[in-house]
Amino acid sequence: MKLLKIKLSMLTACLMLLSVSLPVSAQTAAQISKKSADAADIGPMEMDLTVFIRDNKGNERVRQITMSSGKFGDVSKTLILFTAPADVKGTSLLIYDHKDKDDDMWIFMPALKKVRRIISSEKGKSFMGSEFTNADMSKPNQADFNYTLLGTVEYNGNPCWKIETTGINKDIQKAIGYSKTISFIDQSNYLCHKVEYYDFSGILHRVQHISDYKEQTGKTYFAHRMIMENVQNKRVSEMLVDRLQMGTDLSENAFSPTALQ
Amino acid sequence: MKKGVFVIKYRWWIIITTVLLVVASIIPLLQIRINPDLESYMPDSMPSKQNNRIISDVFGNDEMILIVLETRDVLDNKTLTRVRQISEDFSQMPGFGRVYSISQAKNIRSENGSMVVDPALGQLPQNDSEREALRTAIRANDMAYQVVVSDDFRYALIMLSSNKTIPDDQLMEIVNATLAKFPGEEKVYVTGAPYLRDESNQKIGHDIMVLLPIGLLVMFIFLFVTFREIRSVLLPFSAVLFSIVICLALIPVFGWELSLIGVLIPIMMIAIANNYGVYFIARYQDLNAAEPDLSVNALVKKTTNYLIKPVALCGLTTIVGVLGLVAHLLIPARQMGVVTALGIAFALLISLLFIPAVMSLLKKGNARKALLNGTNGFFTAMVMRAAHWVTKKPGLVIIVFILFLGLSSAGLFFLKIAPDSNKVLPEKHAFNKAINITDSHFGGSKVIYAMFDGDVTDPVLLHSLDRYEQELKMLPNVGTVTSLATIVKKISKALNDSTESGYNAIPPSQQAIAQYLELYSMSGDPADLEQYVSFDYTQTLMTIQYQADNLAQVRQIPDMLHRLSQKDSLTPVIGGPSLTDKDISESVEHGQYYSLLAAFVAILILLSLIFKSIHAGMLGSLPLVFAVLCTFGLMGWLGIELNIVTALLSSISIGLGVDFTIHVLWRIKWELASGNDYAGSITSTLRTIGRGIIINACSVMLGFAVLFLSAFPLIRSFAFLIIISLVLCLVSGLLLVPALCYLFKPKFLNKPNKISMYETT
Repeated sequence: MKLLKIKLSMLTACLMLLSVSLPVSAQTAAQISKKSADAADIGPMEMDLTVFIRDNKGNERVRQITMSSGKFGDVSKTLILFTAPADVKGTSLLIYDHKDKDDDMWIFMPALKKVRRIISSEKGKSFMGSEFTNADMSKPNQADFNYTLLGTVEYNGNPCWKIETTGINKDIQKAIGYSKTISFIDQSNYLCHKVEYYDFSGILHRVQHISDYKEQTGKTYFAHRMIMENVQNKRVSEMLVDRLQMGTDLSENAFSPTALQ
Repeated sequence: MKKGVFVIKYRWWIIITTVLLVVASIIPLLQIRINPDLESYMPDSMPSKQNNRIISDVFGNDEMILIVLETRDVLDNKTLTRVRQISEDFSQMPGFGRVYSISQAKNIRSENGSMVVDPALGQLPQNDSEREALRTAIRANDMAYQVVVSDDFRYALIMLSSNKTIPDDQLMEIVNATLAKFPGEEKVYVTGAPYLRDESNQKIGHDIMVLLPIGLLVMFIFLFVTFREIRSVLLPFSAVLFSIVICLALIPVFGWELSLIGVLIPIMMIAIANNYGVYFIARYQDLNAAEPDLSVNALVKKTTNYLIKPVALCGLTTIVGVLGLVAHLLIPARQMGVVTALGIAFALLISLLFIPAVMSLLKKGNARKALLNGTNGFFTAMVMRAAHWVTKKPGLVIIVFILFLGLSSAGLFFLKIAPDSNKVLPEKHAFNKAINITDSHFGGSKVIYAMFDGDVTDPVLLHSLDRYEQELKMLPNVGTVTSLATIVKKISKALNDSTESGYNAIPPSQQAIAQYLELYSMSGDPADLEQYVSFDYTQTLMTIQYQADNLAQVRQIPDMLHRLSQKDSLTPVIGGPSLTDKDISESVEHGQYYSLLAAFVAILILLSLIFKSIHAGMLGSLPLVFAVLCTFGLMGWLGIELNIVTALLSSISIGLGVDFTIHVLWRIKWELASGNDYAGSITSTLRTIGRGIIINACSVMLGFAVLFLSAFPLIRSFAFLIIISLVLCLVSGLLLVPALCYLFKPKFLNKPNKISMYETT
């Protein structure tokens, strides 16, 4: 069992970027990326998600979840509740993301009718069995990467920066599950439209398409549709945000293991 | 028009057509491709092939490569580091879907009320007590113990799954380069289907490149020693060369590929194709010595007219025997039957048309002592001794044959059919060493899959799978059985304390199982779960790992699965590499019967037609029955298994061996017609044609002897057995057949026959 190191406030570095206008000439690739990462920190939130997982033969699995998160002291706490399909409905996961130690995780299974703590030093790869990985869902640590501006390119009629992000060493690359990414960031509004993920052999592995950006408060945007295509095994996963709420109504007590039942 | 006249009249046409045909054949010959994939030798209609396709449609068709490291203690830090480095290097490479070793294995357990998930190998042990603690933890971890670490901790296993996107040679280059990148003191053995194919591919190429020139050289020397005249060597030699070119060129022309069995084709042609040319040269030299005043054209005409019938009949019987292979179940055996039959037919035409045509253009040459009708020497003494025994004590000869047959054929009870393709490579090859280690220290090297349809979250289905598992594990050769029931019970052990009812149990509700699976699918790579469950949760796969030394042990697994499925409504689709091996073995066994029967029936009919008597057909078949039964009996006594190569033996030896009998029967008949009594006829037959038959048999055996240099033990066994078989055909043709004729004096020998084999000149 892996830990789902979800940081809802930073769904992905590319999902949401502040539309801060800076002179293009003054920005390096690292600066653009740093700003993207900072902009993704949108604080507590709640959202309903539908995840479609499709194999290469067109078979489909659908999962619906509600995710809530909040930061309490130094600990980011995330609650994931399965709402569909019926047989897994009610299954809940609670994750404590500590700064300086391994995550804590608890699971509640309605069929077992009890909460079980999961202690794991294993870092999982796949987010809910989809083509998204936990690393994709986490805010990257700027110091762990080298950034290169590869140039500009037009994507869907929008001029974009092409930024290559590479893990600074093999351990970092192993932890995130890829050797490098190439992101397509809109020059007009800093929104990221596409990310290419390359495997350890430098071969294209997955492509993420990000769309349906909706403006949030404070001139921030949030992508409501993300498609991750695994070009090697031809699987596709799609994540749709059905409801997004900035901030959470839940108290800290709701993020405790005893509250899972 | 007399045949000799035809050859002289159209000699330039014959020569030019032959040369053009051979030159044109070089073009397709260069396109020939090697196919070392044993599974492809089976027709698509084979049940295991069809089932494998059904299973691979759902669960993919990855192949396993196993790397075994042998050392005193695999928990030594140097070994653990090496295993970790190699595994991690592989896991970062494309082409390997899954890498599993002690480095990747997890330790999932329940501890102090928590589900604990750790790597089986965390930090390397720093001292002996930590090492012993790790040993204890591994012993308790059924995801590592006897899976990736052997029971005695001397062997570590790295399992790679190849998704078949990289060609075998490149894949094995990557494997070898990675192993070389992390050197160590451990002995390393590799096994797996891609390795077997790559090794076989190289060895097939090696065999063709080595055996063919050596075979040709041996035949050249044999011909030179026999004829001592360069043109008398070059002409039969050209028949060999040309027919090899034609024969091999037919493979790509028909859209086929050169298989492991195909290595035999050029060697068979070397052994067989020169025969007919040799007959021509020998007779030509005989005539030249006997009638030195004859012109070249007259010599060619006389030789052609004299030989056309016996040579054509011998060629025809060989072709018919070899064509028996067409009834075989293995595709390359059928293909071999077709191309060698056509090759022999071409060699026959060259010997009857091309060689006389060329001879007619050459100088007459010096008269030489008769080759085949000599009266002195070792062979003559031998056949005269045989004639003495046959005519003086025919009953004793027959009794000796019956005793030998009884003794030899008792070995049939011990005749074994190879249960797999492992012995394609030598016993001491690293490939087989790895298999032996996997068999004796891990779950076993053989794998059978059983795919079940149904809702995989249904507790009834999981209980059935659990029952299958328990029953299969009772079989003595079964190492491990893994199914969805195993996984669910494993999760239950991690989610429940040992005192709880849900511990090591299948949950009672569909929802609980679905939630267990959801937890498992979140625990790592989705591919982990999808080894056991289809994407849509409607099919599940059981993996049975075992070891087997014989076919009966292989059969017990599918038999048990069928028995179990009769008790419930499940209809498992059974497949896997081991089942393919089983089907190949059964095809070898049944194909052997079919081709043997086809060859026998064809020869029986042919002999009956030639001699216009069914008794002749039966008498002529007796040496073949004797040779085949004795050969297979000896295989049983000597522990030589029936496999994809040795199964070709009977058809080939029947095709070749029948020639001896035909010559003997016909000569006896001819001698009787000339006024000799039985004793005189038999003595004269053995003295004249007997010596020629022995020389001919020796040349064929010499040709096949080259196969002893093959890189494949199967082909070396074949060389031994075909020579034994030919010796038996020869001995029974020269002793048993004349003794039976002497004792029973069959009517067909006295009956005038319109077909005259030897024309009086």
